[in-house]
Amino acid sequence: MSKTFCRSLARKKVMSNDGMLIGTIKNIIVDLNTGQVVDLLVKPDETFKTDGYRTDGDKMLVPFEAVKDIKDYVVVDRYLLKR
Amino acid sequence: MRTQITEMFGLRVYTDRAVFIGNVDDVVLDVDQKKVDALAVGELNPEIGEVKGYTGLQIPFRVVKSVGDIVIVRHIPGLFKLPAKDD
Repeated sequence: MSKTFCRSLARKKVMSNDGMLIGTIKNIIVDLNTGQVVDLLVKPDETFKTDGYRTDGDKMLVPFEAVKDIKDYVVVDRYLLKR
Repeated sequence: MRTQITEMFGLRVYTDRAVFIGNVDDVVLDVDQKKVDALAVGELNPEIGEVKGYTGLQIPFRVVKSVGDIVIVRHIPGLFKLPAKDD
């Protein structure tokens, strides 16, 4: 599945490829000039420490490049998370 | 210009010939290409053509010219008819 509706992504959980729960998707940031999806805005889970990651207020910015696949969960690459 | 996707929901969509199409209901993402694939437009204007039986249209992002207070897409004559004028 490569195409997905944004509304179906709302409240989906974000997980890293080593099995850590990161949080829930709150919003998606796109560049409307190029159509590129830039970032996911993720509300971090209480168990996840956001030190060293890019944050915006209480939300965490996950580069869309780190996204491996989206099915029941959004799976992101831990190593690509920090940018 | 970076935008949060929820800000696009509900925007009115017009063609560059000033024909109203509908409102943005949802945005389709291409996960592999990491791009916006299409805009799902609902509450269609019945005058643009055969929209009976359809609840919405997916407008490919490549025909979108500009997004601001409204969305402007390229006018595609086969797809969107100009409203017929009554003489």
